[in-house]
Amino acid sequence: MSVHLNRRALLRHGATMMGGAALSSLPLASSFAQDKVRVRFAGYVESQEQLTQTLAVLKLYTQKHPNVEIIPEFTNFGAFTDKIATETAGGNAPDMFSVNVDLLAEYARRGVTTPLDSYIPNPINLSDYLQSAVNAAKFDGKQFAIPNDAIGPAIITNASAFEKAGITLPPEMWTWEELAETASAFNKALGPRFWGVEDAGGNYIPCDIFLRSRGKSMFTQDHRLGFAPEDMEAWYAYWQKLRETRGTPPGDVQALAGNDDPSTSGIVAGRAAMNITLTDSFAGFQALTQDNLILHMMPNGFRGGEMKQRHYCYAGNSTTVSAKSPNQKHVIDIIRFMHFDPEGAKTYYVGSGMIPCSKAGRDAFAATGSEADRKIIAYLDVLQKEPAPPRYPGVPGMTGMLTRANEGVAFGKLTPKQAAEQFIREVSARLKK
Amino acid sequence: MSMIAQEKLPVSATRRPAHRQRAAVGINANNNAAAFLFLSPWILGMVCLTLGPILASFYLSLTSYDMFTAPQWIGLDNYVKMAFEDSRYYQSLKVTFTYVFLSVPLKLAFALGIAMLLNRGLRGLGFYRSVFYLPSLLGGSVAVAIMWRQVFSYDGIINQILLKFGIDGPSWITSTDYALYTLVALAVWQFGSPMVIFLAGLKQIPQDIYDAAEVDGAGSVRKFVSITLPLLTPIIFFNFVMQIIGAFQAFTPAYIISGGKGGPADATLFYTLYLYEQAFTNFQMGYASAMAWVLVGIIGLATAISFLSARYWVHYGDER
Repeated sequence: MSVHLNRRALLRHGATMMGGAALSSLPLASSFAQDKVRVRFAGYVESQEQLTQTLAVLKLYTQKHPNVEIIPEFTNFGAFTDKIATETAGGNAPDMFSVNVDLLAEYARRGVTTPLDSYIPNPINLSDYLQSAVNAAKFDGKQFAIPNDAIGPAIITNASAFEKAGITLPPEMWTWEELAETASAFNKALGPRFWGVEDAGGNYIPCDIFLRSRGKSMFTQDHRLGFAPEDMEAWYAYWQKLRETRGTPPGDVQALAGNDDPSTSGIVAGRAAMNITLTDSFAGFQALTQDNLILHMMPNGFRGGEMKQRHYCYAGNSTTVSAKSPNQKHVIDIIRFMHFDPEGAKTYYVGSGMIPCSKAGRDAFAATGSEADRKIIAYLDVLQKEPAPPRYPGVPGMTGMLTRANEGVAFGKLTPKQAAEQFIREVSARLKK
Repeated sequence: MSMIAQEKLPVSATRRPAHRQRAAVGINANNNAAAFLFLSPWILGMVCLTLGPILASFYLSLTSYDMFTAPQWIGLDNYVKMAFEDSRYYQSLKVTFTYVFLSVPLKLAFALGIAMLLNRGLRGLGFYRSVFYLPSLLGGSVAVAIMWRQVFSYDGIINQILLKFGIDGPSWITSTDYALYTLVALAVWQFGSPMVIFLAGLKQIPQDIYDAAEVDGAGSVRKFVSITLPLLTPIIFFNFVMQIIGAFQAFTPAYIISGGKGGPADATLFYTLYLYEQAFTNFQMGYASAMAWVLVGIIGLATAISFLSARYWVHYGDER
């Protein structure tokens, strides 16, 4: 009996000692690692290609700067917004992270991120960057983020379907009425399961362009709503009418195309000729169809009204810096490397599907990029001939709020007026917070 | 040091009985310590990782908290807003209750039916049991939800079969009229775990009772109604309570099938989905916490009602 206890006691002591040894080795390991600067870089990517190139450029940077360790934390946009919100709330924000225009406003006004004006123009020189993208990355007049790419709103148009249906695509400076007429002609020409344009009633950017065609905008520069209820009612009524004239699919068919996933879109599934979206998804759409896709502007006004180029360009992805990061200098140097170091910029952009925001980068791409890249750059150049006022930061969750109201109309549960009221109520509550 | 003292105790105890008691206490204390030691991972996890957040969430439910700035005390405002101002909250309740009231009875009926089929002395029972259990193993997964989306979509298998009969089916998962019912069907399809429990319960019913009933001229319906069902009520009750609790918390299928939005037009806006949206899209952690506490209350109430009703319809063998 006594021997038994003894053995047990010995084992227990032994286990305690081993545990203690393991614990004491922890501070050793971390004090050893302190020689290196650790930079956490969280972000979202649109494609596997973009992820590969981003990781490659970060690896290249650490090879050239062995004293810096970069911890990449990349995911898709949906997962990213949850992750960054939770980490920030837990006081565990990464040193640098990606933002879009709305996230930028959200994090800047809460003091999570820091203005970068003191690093401009040296070492970050944005002079040949798309000015609308640079402006869209400002909040309260300060530069809170550095734009990583250039995107613009567009209608991805299936030129082959237009040819097949014998319908002519009106010129770039067309009206919302012409879009509706053109779209409605398809159902007659190509049968009951084919529609001219996919329902964009739940889509933020086209709604903003529509409001601008009426002399309004979704948000104002000082972060308020820039339209009246009847403007929003007109938007939902526009799409309701298109549903009635069979220019756009009914609610249940449209709902199949979810989450900006090109593979579920009507244009790829062969049931629609036009999809209103952003240029950064063009390459993804083209990769999934044999048909010839082209980029076309959305309508720029109403019949009898003022016609003006209203498509702003901005960055789909910008990098911002955490206000609490002790490594801001290193973070800025990493951004500089990704954007301005010849080898770094080449690694970051070529093959990533992103169009560089700088004129120099775009010129290089126009010569060497894929056919889809060249089409996007040519389209962005057209938009730059007569630049539109920039997109103003709004609030996160816009697509959800717009879509819910639009689906309410599409499924006959709301009138356009009620949908407008619902949307305004929800977005106003979000703006107040 | 204490080890050495304990080791000496039994030796001295042989001479002085008073010490024997102390020794026993010592060993008991030792056993308790060992028990706590082995329980400590759970206790630590419960106190630090579960209990803390649970209590914190109750405090947060009384605040306005956007995750970035410190929570601000607003008393019962979140609960008041939930009750009187939030129409989407009522939509989420309606969707969830519809789902619970349809999916739980259907799933249990389906599970019982299959269990009775399998209980008829089939050859290769183990194989069938595994095959029927399979959907439950896969059911909660993302892959199955995506597959379900394909099966019930506009050009999915269901509509292709219907087309052969000349029926142009709707897009089931994206229609406000049918979307919720496809999710109910998905839940019913995952009948495996109640089925396995039913099967075990059916095997417990003595064959003599059936034999005696047969001698008295009872048919199969009569045997089912008068023998199988009453003797199975404790099992039905157990499955019922477990399924109710699970159904109220349903999240994954709706999240995947509706792309996390509860669409179309909030037709599949489950309670948990709306809670998640409030927390992580709208950054309204206080409101989301309040919603979570109300859900705990609803589940608690549903369980309590089930237990209260049990005395009227659940028959345990020892009641006579």
